[in-house]
Amino acid sequence: MRAFLLTIVMGFRMYLRDRSSLFWGMAFPVILMGLIGLAFGRTESLTFRVAFVDQGSGPLGLGLRAGLAQVPVFIVSDVPDEAAALDLLRKGQRTLVVVVPPFGSPAPLRVFFDQARVQDSRTALVILERFVAEANLQIAGVKPAVEIQATGIAGAREVRFFDFLLPGILAMTVMQTGLQGVTWVVTGYRQRLILKRVLATPVHPFVFLSGLVARYAVTNIAQLAVVVLIGVGVFGARIVGSLGVLTVVGLFGALAFVGMGFAVSTWSKTPESANLLGSVISFPMLFLAGTLWPRDFMPAFMQPVIALLPLTPLVEAMRGVATRGDAVTPYLGGLAYLGLWGLLTFALAVWRFKWE
Amino acid sequence: MSALRAAESIVSVTDLYKRYGPVVAVDRISFTVARGEIFGILGPNGAGKTTTLETLEGLRRPDGGQAVVGGIDVRRDPRGVRARIGVQLQEAGFFERLTVAETLELFGSFHRTHLPVDGVIARLQLQEKRGAAVETLSGGQRQRLSVATALINDPPLIFLDEPTTGLDPQARRNLWEVIAGFRAEGRTVILTTHYMEEAQRLCDRVAIMDHGRIAAMDSPRELIRRHTPGTTVALTVMEGGAAYAGLPGVQRAEASNGEVVMTTTDPVVTVNALMELARDGQVQFQQLRVEEATLEDVFLELTGHLLRE
Repeated sequence: MRAFLLTIVMGFRMYLRDRSSLFWGMAFPVILMGLIGLAFGRTESLTFRVAFVDQGSGPLGLGLRAGLAQVPVFIVSDVPDEAAALDLLRKGQRTLVVVVPPFGSPAPLRVFFDQARVQDSRTALVILERFVAEANLQIAGVKPAVEIQATGIAGAREVRFFDFLLPGILAMTVMQTGLQGVTWVVTGYRQRLILKRVLATPVHPFVFLSGLVARYAVTNIAQLAVVVLIGVGVFGARIVGSLGVLTVVGLFGALAFVGMGFAVSTWSKTPESANLLGSVISFPMLFLAGTLWPRDFMPAFMQPVIALLPLTPLVEAMRGVATRGDAVTPYLGGLAYLGLWGLLTFALAVWRFKWE
Repeated sequence: MSALRAAESIVSVTDLYKRYGPVVAVDRISFTVARGEIFGILGPNGAGKTTTLETLEGLRRPDGGQAVVGGIDVRRDPRGVRARIGVQLQEAGFFERLTVAETLELFGSFHRTHLPVDGVIARLQLQEKRGAAVETLSGGQRQRLSVATALINDPPLIFLDEPTTGLDPQARRNLWEVIAGFRAEGRTVILTTHYMEEAQRLCDRVAIMDHGRIAAMDSPRELIRRHTPGTTVALTVMEGGAAYAGLPGVQRAEASNGEVVMTTTDPVVTVNALMELARDGQVQFQQLRVEEATLEDVFLELTGHLLRE
């Protein structure tokens, strides 16, 4: 028991003294979260800047202008001529340009959008189209046959980008510790004959190896805690669900990926090649499994493959708990699938494990 | 006599055989080690020394023969053997980011009981490095730490695999003192080395190993007596001459370039005779050197090649 405990304690001390594992386990996830947030997180405050060019339309233009200004997500500014407005659009300072033709002109109402920001522009266009349609109906004096009544349901929360991203980053950290930390460390221990030195003592190999596994569980909890603290404290991410459930799910994932890491380490002689093999496995999963963006972004024919990745159920469970406050029950099937991966790879590792 | 030996022996090896694929590493060797002695296995790299040791430590399964260590058959209970011995492995690494004290604490926990860490640190003169990370240690300090991990469980039998390889002469002498200290405490030490001086100075008995076999085994003194022609007396002659081969004790004499080299069974008698010749003025010589034969000569004699080849 003392051997087991000391293996964990000493292993954790080594982790804290190792700058590169601290970087990859704590700093890297936080930096990645910040960078992705910078790149994609802007739309979280949903406002669009609209340039309004009135070419002398009279009352129609004035009415439209006043109406647009009342749409909450539009910030409307007047620009005297079309060229100047388009220039602002090209510079990315406006999302839409609305040009109202002179009074009595047969020209239509023209709208320009930024092709580089399709997502934003489409959203803004849809809002504008609805607004114009309604304006048309009112001008024609027709009462709409169908009306929409939107009611916010209490408790349903808006999921902001960082809320979405944080659990993905947590799942990524868990996977990286297994596939890149464990592979590197265990292969290094073997190559430098440290495992052989342990084998030369009467300690049961199982005690030492399970101490090593437990050490990664502890390391993972520390990493997750740091990432959560910074995600919540600095990036303003919100975790709706239970931290306890999130920790247990993370720990479960950690054990499964540590198993995979051990298995990978039995295929490589050097830490470098083990690490490379770990990366080859983990990076595609990172990009496919809905870790950093929704998995729906991937084409439909990829979806069955994505469903089979062991990272996918972990991401989904952690995200469900964190962003929607789900109980763990609906995710048990996926987690069992992940657990099966961990169990099989661990059995494989035990079978193939070499001490020197 | 042999029955008494067997009763006192802590290690007993019979026809031990081990091969790696087609290569026979240990070729049916037999020996016993008595309680309280320092037993050396001397041989060049690749002679099978490490394989022999690691088989006795229960780290490798023999392909034939028997090895009983501390009363336990290594094939039957290798972990039982490891609980009763201390092992220093050749070239094995450490957890680089642990300190000296943490390393000993961790390895101590791998045994059922262990000596106080600070006592072991003091024994190996590592007090100054107690809190230093292993990665900052010098070669000699690492080697002492390695021996410390072999001592941590207070074993009656310690295996040291090339404990002083790669160390400078000062560090080597330090370690010799430590190892001689183990014997003084009543521990048995089995070590491998390819330094003949180490075997000669430290070991009570030496097995000379080459190509997986034991070529000879005895105390260093007896090995030299039995397997070398004797002591060499060399002198540089200025004037005169004598029938050197006929001097008392001399077995053989060769003269070339004014230097005469004699091998003698009794150097004191031979040198006395030479001095008499000089007093009588029959011969004038400038230098007189008496050289003891070494285990190196024994090795050359037995195997036909030098140790470091």
